Amino acid sequence: MKPANAIYFIREATQSLSRNRVLSFATITTVAVSILILGIALLMTVNTGNIMNRLESDVQVIAFLDKTLTSGEISTVKRNIEKIDGVKSLKFVPRDEALKKLQESYGKDYDLKATIGKNPLPNTFDVKAKDPHQVPVIANKINKINGVYKVNYGQGVVERLFQVTRWVRIVSIAFIVLLAAGAVFLIATTIRLAIFARRKEIYLMKLIGATDWFVRWPFFIEGMFMGISGSLIAVLLLALGYNSLVSRIGTVFFMPLVSDPHLLSQFYFSLIGIGALLGMLGTYISINRFLKV
Amino acid sequence: MLVQFYNVSKKYDNGVIALNDVSLKIDRGEFLFLMGQSGAGKSTLVKLLFREELPTRGQIFVASRSVVRMRRSDIPKLRRNIGIIFQDFKLLETKTVKENIAFAMQVVGASKRDMQIRIPEVIKMVGLQGRENSFPSQLSGGEQQRVGIARALANRPLVLIADEPTGNLDLETAQEIMQLLYDINRLGTTVIMATHAREVVKAANKRVITLDKGKIVSDTPSGECLL
Repeated sequence: MKPANAIYFIREATQSLSRNRVLSFATITTVAVSILILGIALLMTVNTGNIMNRLESDVQVIAFLDKTLTSGEISTVKRNIEKIDGVKSLKFVPRDEALKKLQESYGKDYDLKATIGKNPLPNTFDVKAKDPHQVPVIANKINKINGVYKVNYGQGVVERLFQVTRWVRIVSIAFIVLLAAGAVFLIATTIRLAIFARRKEIYLMKLIGATDWFVRWPFFIEGMFMGISGSLIAVLLLALGYNSLVSRIGTVFFMPLVSDPHLLSQFYFSLIGIGALLGMLGTYISINRFLKV
Repeated sequence: MLVQFYNVSKKYDNGVIALNDVSLKIDRGEFLFLMGQSGAGKSTLVKLLFREELPTRGQIFVASRSVVRMRRSDIPKLRRNIGIIFQDFKLLETKTVKENIAFAMQVVGASKRDMQIRIPEVIKMVGLQGRENSFPSQLSGGEQQRVGIARALANRPLVLIADEPTGNLDLETAQEIMQLLYDINRLGTTVIMATHAREVVKAANKRVITLDKGKIVSDTPSGECLL
C-alpha cells in the first residue's frame, strides 16, 4: 500500500463513517451487543472451567496400608507409588492424625476414642495425579502394590464427575462458536447495508479501473473501526459488571470467581481484538459480491 | 488495430441472446457509431469491451490483449485504457466537479502532482472553468455530462466509450456534447458511441455499425444506416 493511498483510504473511511452516521451507529451497537453476549458467555466458560479444574484437582487416591507394616516397609510402598507414571505428589497420613481429623469432624461433644476404644484407622497415603483423569488408572496400579490393602478415590462418583465436566466444556465451546458465528452474520448484514448504500460508487470505481483491494481498504478500515468501537463499549460494560460481581459475591458454589487482573486484562484485550476481527470479517463477506463487476 | 471481435456471441443466463456471431474491427483514432433499437445488443457489445460481461463464444481483443482470457487481476489495467461516459452521467452527488474528476484519478493511484496538472487541463478541455467547486445538483444536464466526459478523459484513455451520452439531453445541448466528442477524437482518442438518435448519426457523417437482434446488419463508412 502506498502511503498516499493509505491517507486516502483513511480519509474515505472517516468520511463514510460520518456521512452514514445512523448506519455506523447501528453497526457499532450490533458489535457491542454481540461482543457483550460473547464476553458474558466466555466469562462464564472461563469460570466454569476454573470450577471444573478445582473439582478435578480435588480428586485424589487414598491408599490404605496394612496395619502390620513396619516403617521400613512403608518407605518401600512410598517409593513404589512414586515410581508410578503420572503421580504428582503423595502425602503420608499417620493413623493418629487420621483419627484426630475424624474426631474434629464429630465435634467436641462426642468422644470418639472413648466409644471405639483403640484407633481402628490404618495409615494412608494421599496421592495426587498430574492429570486428574489418570486417577482411576493410578489407583489401580497402587492397589497392586504389596502392603496396600485398599484404595479409594471416590469410585463411580469420579467417573461421573469427569463425564459432567467433559460435557460442560463441549457445550460451552459449541455455544461460543455459535455465538461468534451469529455475531459475524449480524455484523455482515449491517455492513452490507452500508455498502449497499454506496454500490453505485463501487461500481463506478470498478469501471474506472480500481483494483478490488483499492475498493476494499476504506471499507475494511471502516469495519475495523466499528468493530473496535463496539467492542470497547462492550468491554467497558463487561468489566464494570464483572468487577462489581466479583467484589460483591466473590464466589459461586463456594468457588472463587476468576479475578486475576493480568488474566482479565488479557481477556478484555482479546475481546477488543475479536471485535476488530469480526468487523473486518463482516466487511469481507459483505463486500465481495459488490466487487463482481 | 485497437478493437477486434471474432464471432462473438452472448447469451444471458435468462436465455436472451444479446449478440449473435458478431465480428468487427476498430482502428486507432476512429470515430464509430453503434446504432440500433434498444435491445439490439449495443449495450452488451459495449459491456464486453470493458469486460463487465464475458462472451458466451468468440474472442475479443483490446489493444492486442485478449479480453476473454484475461486474468481477473488484469481487468483494472484494461479499464484504465478505456474511458466510459454514461447516459445518466453517474456522478457522485456528494463530490464537487473537481472531486469527481480527482476520484477517477485517485482510483487508479495517480500522484498528487499528476492530478494538480491534469484536472485543470480536462476541465478546460470540456469548458467547465469556473464550475470546479460546484456540486452536480447545481449543474445543468449538459454541464453534468461534461463532467462525465472530463472524468473519462482524466486518465488519458486510448478509447472513449459513450453509451447514449446525449439520451438525457435536449437537441441543442446534445449537439454541444457531440462537438466536444469530435474535438476529443481529433486529438487522437478513439471514440465508440452507442446511440439510437438517427439525426445525430446522420449529421456526423462517420462510420456506423447497425445492430439488429444481436447481429450486425450494416457497417458503412459515412453516416448511412439502415434503420
